[in-house]
Amino acid sequence: MGTRALTGSAGVVLVGTLIGFFLASAVGIAVQDSGVLGGNGESPVARAYMLGLLQRDPSSISSIRPQQGIAQRAAELQGASSRSSSATQPLSLTYLGGGSAGPLTVSIYAVGVRTSSGTDQFFPLALTIAGGKVVRSE
Amino acid sequence: MTMTSSTAQVRAFGTVALFVLGLVVGSVAHQIVDRGPGESPYPALPKTNEPAAAHDVVQAIANDDAASLSKMLAAEQLTDLSTALQPIIDVRGTKFVGAVESEGRLLSAYLVTGKTSEGSDFIVGFVLRVANDQVVGVN
Repeated sequence: MGTRALTGSAGVVLVGTLIGFFLASAVGIAVQDSGVLGGNGESPVARAYMLGLLQRDPSSISSIRPQQGIAQRAAELQGASSRSSSATQPLSLTYLGGGSAGPLTVSIYAVGVRTSSGTDQFFPLALTIAGGKVVRSE
Repeated sequence: MTMTSSTAQVRAFGTVALFVLGLVVGSVAHQIVDRGPGESPYPALPKTNEPAAAHDVVQAIANDDAASLSKMLAAEQLTDLSTALQPIIDVRGTKFVGAVESEGRLLSAYLVTGKTSEGSDFIVGFVLRVANDQVVGVN
């Protein structure tokens, strides 16, 4: 009887913990997307992707992109090493804004870089995120 | 009878209390696990107001006004806009999300919601490049 009561109590706490975790996650995403409470609505996945891109570190963003083939990953690493030797210097990273529709979230950034020839470039990048991964970048 | 009823009430209260305790533990666990976006080592530029030229272009898109759009954008820009809006073919809404300026070059960002050719809801983001009060590019 005592063991059954203990198991039942633990079960109730466990169910509550799971619901609490997912509720906090859902509320957090909604608050983040809306930008209330001082948040700017920026997705952590989008921020991580942009930082990996600017730091020319494909391995750091491999977990937040759709799975790629071995040849594609090797070519990307090759490209990253040649780009890092050409020393493009990031100057600024500005989150312009974003929004969601169904399972899709779009985050738009403005990026400033200085090329090895000393020319400053200023360009935008729009990321589409679904299921915690960047599925489109343009 | 009163004793049994009282025991049942205590049990029910205990169950609800344990459930609420679980909710609190779950919320706290989420706060510990979810660290939010990492700090950016790069500075962010200050936001500016929406440029009028970009606003007019997006207004034409929102109004499905192809005639006005054809007068505002060059052929190459219309091709870029078409690419940026894919796979949306039926625009249902547009929203200005932000603009920044760097050395006279303005980037004005928008979200577009609409339907694909299969009738599914979709969202895309695109950016209009503005210089000298004119739209000079679409990304």
